[in-house]
Amino acid sequence: MTAGLELQALWAALVLYVLAGSTAIFGVVLRRKPERMVLAFLIIGLVLHTITIGLRWERVGHGPYINMYEMLLSNIWSLILIYSIAYWRLPAIRATAALVMPIIFMLMGWLLMSNPYDGNEPNTYHTIWMFIHIGFAKVFLGTVLVAVGISGIILLRQGRFSGGRFARMPDDKKLDELSFRLMAIGLIFESLMLITGAIWAQDALGRYWNWDPLETWAFLTWIFVAFSLHLRLAYKTTPRTSSYMIIVVFVLAFLTFFGVPFVTPAPHQGIG
Amino acid sequence: MTMIYKESMIWTGISKLGSLKLTPVILALVGIGAAISYRNEGTTTWAMALPLFLVALNILAAVLTNKKFHRNKPLLIFHLALIAVVVLVALGRLTYLRGHVELTEGEEFSSQLAEVEKGPWHWGNLNLVSFANEGFTVQYSSGVKVKKIENSIRWRDEEGKEQQGVIGGLVPLKLHGYKFYPSANKGFAPTFIWRPKKGGSPMLGSVHLPSYPMHEYRQALAWTPPASETNLWIMLQFDEVILDPAQPSLFRAPRNYQLIVRSGEQRWQLKPGESVTLPDGVLEFEGLRNWMGYSMVYDFTLPWILAAAMLAVGSMAAYFWSKFTSRPWDK
Ligand code: HEM
Repeated sequence: MTAGLELQALWAALVLYVLAGSTAIFGVVLRRKPERMVLAFLIIGLVLHTITIGLRWERVGHGPYINMYEMLLSNIWSLILIYSIAYWRLPAIRATAALVMPIIFMLMGWLLMSNPYDGNEPNTYHTIWMFIHIGFAKVFLGTVLVAVGISGIILLRQGRFSGGRFARMPDDKKLDELSFRLMAIGLIFESLMLITGAIWAQDALGRYWNWDPLETWAFLTWIFVAFSLHLRLAYKTTPRTSSYMIIVVFVLAFLTFFGVPFVTPAPHQGIG
Repeated sequence: MTMIYKESMIWTGISKLGSLKLTPVILALVGIGAAISYRNEGTTTWAMALPLFLVALNILAAVLTNKKFHRNKPLLIFHLALIAVVVLVALGRLTYLRGHVELTEGEEFSSQLAEVEKGPWHWGNLNLVSFANEGFTVQYSSGVKVKKIENSIRWRDEEGKEQQGVIGGLVPLKLHGYKFYPSANKGFAPTFIWRPKKGGSPMLGSVHLPSYPMHEYRQALAWTPPASETNLWIMLQFDEVILDPAQPSLFRAPRNYQLIVRSGEQRWQLKPGESVTLPDGVLEFEGLRNWMGYSMVYDFTLPWILAAAMLAVGSMAAYFWSKFTSRPWDK
């Protein structure tokens, strides 16, 4: 019964996200601004998505953070949530939806292909630190996603396709400043993510840092963010170079979130 | 004249060392170092230690020479806290201890039993630790996944008072800076009374069979009774299913079991209370107990690393806050 409703709500949410993304893309291509419609699709989609997650949580007895299906389910939710907030609060960058939503589509496709088995909660997961850790991680990835959308605009503007489509947006220097402010916020949450993750590992496994694959990748991402901030400051990099650096950060973070758990089974499940 | 000249040379040197142009290069080295130590399974400490040393040097030189740090306290505090984290982690590596100890039900901890690995400057005193394993339960959910470990223990606290309690999961025993965590590495321990032929008092001893259920099908071991020359091979036999993958279950000793004891060509089957006569004594099988494997850790730097890391994040947030609120991004 609930499994039925859960699935229906999920499908409806995904369809709404696709509508939001397609509307945004058509908006850019046809030089229109269907912004209220995009935001409405996103918000209704989020509500339904939240219902799905709630029902599933109730049904299987644990939150969406154990297997790949659950990680995708909850990360699509948090990315859309953070992106929607940015979309709402920063009208100047709304055109980024045409670039950001396709990234989400990719995750949605992966979600539909992954196995939605219920899974079992390892005993190392019974701690509040896990929730805090996951929360910070999601905010980090969300802010980087918004920054990636902005970087995409900076890069696309220089290509032939744009045909002046993004000309009314703030200039490159300003977009560059905004995207690095987002990176700064991202770095704060990423640092908090590392700290709380270390607390969790210390509590659960008796060691705060062990250079397991996930920890190593997370550290490399963190150091690359610090590297980008410093390179930009000390060498006055162009918005174009800065944009590439942000994309690299996103790729590293993306691999850490979804690639490492995908190739190494259960690196994050402790002694279970 | 020359003094001033020399001083200014040194100063120029320090400010070069503290150049912000160096920072990205050094940060890249940290990243490369992390990748190298990861690929070599952490054996290459220098690949991390050297770049981190450079980070500290670069920051310290910049703190002395870069005016931005003098004007901006949160930025200064952030970078100093970063050095503090690096130094504390290094100190932790030099003074840590980690190890493993197995205790039979009823057995007292002694530092001789433990297998440990420690940093060259470890200054804790493991000899002061005194506690005993009073028995435990391990609950499994279906699919034989550990759900909960509860271990009753008795210990002497730091004032020398006897205490009793339960540890397990996220709750370790904390004593003299050491932490003891009962683990899923546990098993059965056939317990014997050994009466030497030459006389003397009988001895109680137990043998830890390989971890259960990890080595479910290898519940056997070679063993020599204390002060004896007879080499034995013992094996535990039972038919019950202890941990059923199909449903939640509890780790416990089997109800019906026997012990196979072999010495050379001879072979015996023992039930609890039965004994065999060996050339140099009598071995009585008292029965089956459980043993628990504890992991032990000592690292006094932990709360300080946490404090330094929180200070770093807090001051970084304060720095960005004042920087961003002083000017909107699109102005
Ligand atoms: C892992 C190491 C490091 C991290 C995470 C880090 C992080 C940061 C951050 C977040 C900022 C603010 C950037 C901004 O305003 O956009 C910053 C600025 C700064 N950092 Fe670092 N840093 C690190 C290492 C160093 C080192 C080794 C130095 C030594 C030279 C240094 C010196 C500075 C200075 C002087 C600034 C101020 C730049 C400015 O705003 O004009 N940092 N650092």
